[in-house]
Amino acid sequence: MGANQLFFEDVKVGGALPMLVKHPSNVELFRFSAMTWNAHRIHYDKIYAQSEGYPDVLVQSHLHGSFLLQTVTDWIGPRGRVLGFRWQNRGIAIPGDVLTCTGKVVKAEAGVVECELEERNQKGELCAPGWARVELPRRS
Amino acid sequence: MSVSIPAVYEKVKAAVGKTERVKLGTIRERDFQRFAIAAGNLNPLFFDDAAAKAAGYPATIAPPLYLSSVMVWELGPPEDSMRADGTAGQETVGLPVEGVRLMGGGQELEFHYPVTDGMEVTMEVGPEHVELKEGRSGQFLVITLTRRYRDQNDRLLVTCRENFIAR
Repeated sequence: MGANQLFFEDVKVGGALPMLVKHPSNVELFRFSAMTWNAHRIHYDKIYAQSEGYPDVLVQSHLHGSFLLQTVTDWIGPRGRVLGFRWQNRGIAIPGDVLTCTGKVVKAEAGVVECELEERNQKGELCAPGWARVELPRRS
Repeated sequence: MSVSIPAVYEKVKAAVGKTERVKLGTIRERDFQRFAIAAGNLNPLFFDDAAAKAAGYPATIAPPLYLSSVMVWELGPPEDSMRADGTAGQETVGLPVEGVRLMGGGQELEFHYPVTDGMEVTMEVGPEHVELKEGRSGQFLVITLTRRYRDQNDRLLVTCRENFIAR
């Protein structure tokens, strides 16, 4: 395996996951809606989104989830396995926002690691908290 | 909305524990790869058979969130049959919530088995829990909808619990 593989022995409780920064755009939202067959107009029709009180079209719930989960899968490498994952939608995000995903290890036992995750916008506001449980290979 | 939230609460409550099985169709690599690209995730496990095999998979795998992110697996209605907000009603299959506004609050997932090209996937779906709550702007419901995705051999692939706020 390449150098990007994380092993259980490398993980310490309290350690941080590498940060992932995302810049959602109108094109990204359009393509994500297309591939999930999500025709809800708040994701592609700005005038409609404004009629519901939003400043612009909204980043989809599952795209927030995808960003948080990518933070985990980028970190664990190809031989790590995601066993469980959850996220909540707390705050909205719109194209032009800068979304920063971070995480820290909260438990590491018997090859299984749990981490808490956060996605925040450029103002530091929490958009989506999350949590993941992963299984990692061992060096030996 | 003219729909009464307590009436929807009673309907959902009566449906708690009941499930329906929906055939979603054949998983295609091109679709899950497009999903990955749309989300800006170019992980080689999704695109490169050799990389996936080296990691112990039989072939490229779908991004873990793929199955539970697709809102509608059916064709969807013609445009003139859609609701004003663009939804089709098929997003909430398994939930008797016609007439209320639903907001996805997030998901809790367990990944049991990797999803690969050619799988025939079936979804078992139904409400697991519903609560009637009183907010500042009136009554609302918190609904947990559970979806279990299985392949053609009835092997469990993904369990997804999604929370919705219904107003």
